[in-house]
Amino acid sequence: MDRSTPHLNARSTLAVVAASLALLAALAGEPRPTTVDVGALARQIATEADHVDATTVARWIKSRRSDLRIIDVREQSEYDEYHIPTAEHLPLERLTALARSSDTTVLYSGGGAHGAQAWVLLRALGHAKVAVLSGGIDEWTTEVLHPIVPPDAAGPQAAEAVDLAVYFGGTPRVQPRAIDETGSRSDRARAVPPRRRGC
Amino acid sequence: MTAPLLDGQTSTVVTALSALAIGIAFGWTLERAGLGNARKLVGQFHLTDLTVFKVMFSALVTALLGVFWLGRLGWLDVGRLYLPETFLVPQLTGGLIFGVGFALSGLCPGTSCVAAASGRLDGLAAVAGIMAGVWTIGWFIQPLSRFYESTSRGAVTLPDVTGIPSGVIVLAVVSLALAGFRVAEWIEARRT
Repeated sequence: MDRSTPHLNARSTLAVVAASLALLAALAGEPRPTTVDVGALARQIATEADHVDATTVARWIKSRRSDLRIIDVREQSEYDEYHIPTAEHLPLERLTALARSSDTTVLYSGGGAHGAQAWVLLRALGHAKVAVLSGGIDEWTTEVLHPIVPPDAAGPQAAEAVDLAVYFGGTPRVQPRAIDETGSRSDRARAVPPRRRGC
Repeated sequence: MTAPLLDGQTSTVVTALSALAIGIAFGWTLERAGLGNARKLVGQFHLTDLTVFKVMFSALVTALLGVFWLGRLGWLDVGRLYLPETFLVPQLTGGLIFGVGFALSGLCPGTSCVAAASGRLDGLAAVAGIMAGVWTIGWFIQPLSRFYESTSRGAVTLPDVTGIPSGVIVLAVVSLALAGFRVAEWIEARRT
């Protein structure tokens, strides 16, 4: 009997077993964490690493970032009334259906509470690149759609704010000009700031 | 200390003893595979002896399949696995230094401990060098901290970065390993 045969059979058997397990793994679905690293989540929250501001989100949408996914967790009626352009609607109770991906996911709600809760849920499910628009749709409305800009909109920051507001169909709010020596003041119309509401 | 296969309430002593047992088994296996011998390790760089590649990649495949299936069956909480952060440039730099040291000494950190435990002087010298290097860098860690923590990508996995499901990644890596073993055998046969 060939002395190398038993060794070869063992190696071949192991190779077949490994290949079979690997093939089944491709069909088996994802392992899911059963406990949450609370400490890690708490650190991210404390350092506000979970936050993203409305202006940054607006820049991402305007630049047509391909790996961006925006999720609106409010009620259907609120989503239908208005939502951040390109946002998908996925209420909290169906959030577990969201597949893990390499995309950056931005969550938002009306004010920020449900958005933050959704962030914790997705991070607990193992989603990595998740951020929350901390002020929700309210922040989007006041910072992107109706930003306060100086009367002459001078400076790159103000110019960008006006540019984003116009791009998303909003109207900038002009900062009241101080009364000059002649006693006159700008008659330029101002948009009325929206009333904050929602959770 | 993380011991994801043990109950989260297990005492530190039991966890440490478990780690000790695993370490002894690992060291014994490396020694039996001949990886305490620098000549065998250097053969990897000359493509005359690819034992290092075969042993390490076998270990990788075993761990990969084990973690995936234990996690999938719910016997291992993958949330408790420690995932080191990726710092691209510092780790590339460290890898380069590690590679130079490995090629020069003929031993890597793990196998240097095996060689030292086997009584080999080159192993003892390598371990002493590693300890000296670690101690020395400690003095410079503060001024180097900016570089040390640069290009952070967070604790990411291949599925996170690529969007490819874990199981498919497992299949790809195992396929690569099995193909690699075949190629390694062919290279060794040609060299002898």
